Amino acid sequence: MKVRTIEVRERVMARNDELAAAVRSRLGAARVPAFNLVSSPGSGKTLLLERTLERLGDRLRMAVVTGDVQTQNDADRLAARTDRLVQAVVTNGACHLDASQVTSALDAVDLEDTDLLFIENVGNLVCPASWDLGETARVVVFSVTEGEDKPVKYPKMFRLARYAVLNKVDLLPHLDFDLERAMAFARQVNPDLRFFLTSARTGEGMDEWCAFLEDEVAAARAKVWAAGGGPGAAAGHGGGAAVAAGEA
Amino acid sequence: MHEMSLALEICRIAEEHVGTAALGDVRTVVLEVGDDAGVEVSSLEFCLEALLGSPPFGAARPVIEPAAGDVLRVKYLEVET
Repeated sequence: MKVRTIEVRERVMARNDELAAAVRSRLGAARVPAFNLVSSPGSGKTLLLERTLERLGDRLRMAVVTGDVQTQNDADRLAARTDRLVQAVVTNGACHLDASQVTSALDAVDLEDTDLLFIENVGNLVCPASWDLGETARVVVFSVTEGEDKPVKYPKMFRLARYAVLNKVDLLPHLDFDLERAMAFARQVNPDLRFFLTSARTGEGMDEWCAFLEDEVAAARAKVWAAGGGPGAAAGHGGGAAVAAGEA
Repeated sequence: MHEMSLALEICRIAEEHVGTAALGDVRTVVLEVGDDAGVEVSSLEFCLEALLGSPPFGAARPVIEPAAGDVLRVKYLEVET
């Protein structure tokens, strides 16, 4: 018996990252900012999105891709708040969304008729961190009913996020949660993290969150797409640069 | 458990390099897994042992070499000829 060696030297995530780069390129060409919302289960992602759709629905054309392990419950909840498209991805046991699922979901979205895209990832603070979806930025949603030390327990998720929504702040008077300590833990793993303190239930902090989203849409419209930004920036903006060249 | 997704992708990469018909001849799949790759090595091994030990593979086994950082790649395959 002879054994031969076949050199491979291929990154396991290479294919996902290629697809994510293509998604980023499509979104860049259409000038649609996309936010990948990640969190543990029960942080309030879906309610945050419901309230966002209600508040901004008359000003922005928003599309949503939701990922759930089973059921389309989140997509149904969101669809009730908007007449825009809500695409449900049922992962059938998988603990994260990947770029191929987002690619397929986007095939049904008219990006030329869209200002802003939300991707509601599967509730899980571990696995979704490893999958670039082609988003503009990740938003980690972290509720005050969780432990303050979540950011240091799940550092990869907080390190790769650009924004953190600290949700359910209406419950702070009833809890021992130390907000400053939680934010210090988050800054420990990611000093550049921008925070939003919200209660999707009472509306506290939602004005600032929604104003930020409107600013992002305005900036994307004004932007000449060039290198920079995004979790997969190095591989992800080739298409964006091509758009800039086309406009020159 | 994202290790199963990774294991399936590793099998796809192996298939891409040897062709579907030769998967039964693969004996070893050698991987480099970094300490910051977000991978539970024992889970990945468990998933790979299940996939590589059944058709279309024959009796391949995974070998995981520890590495630094977030590296996660298929290094080489050993194939019986």
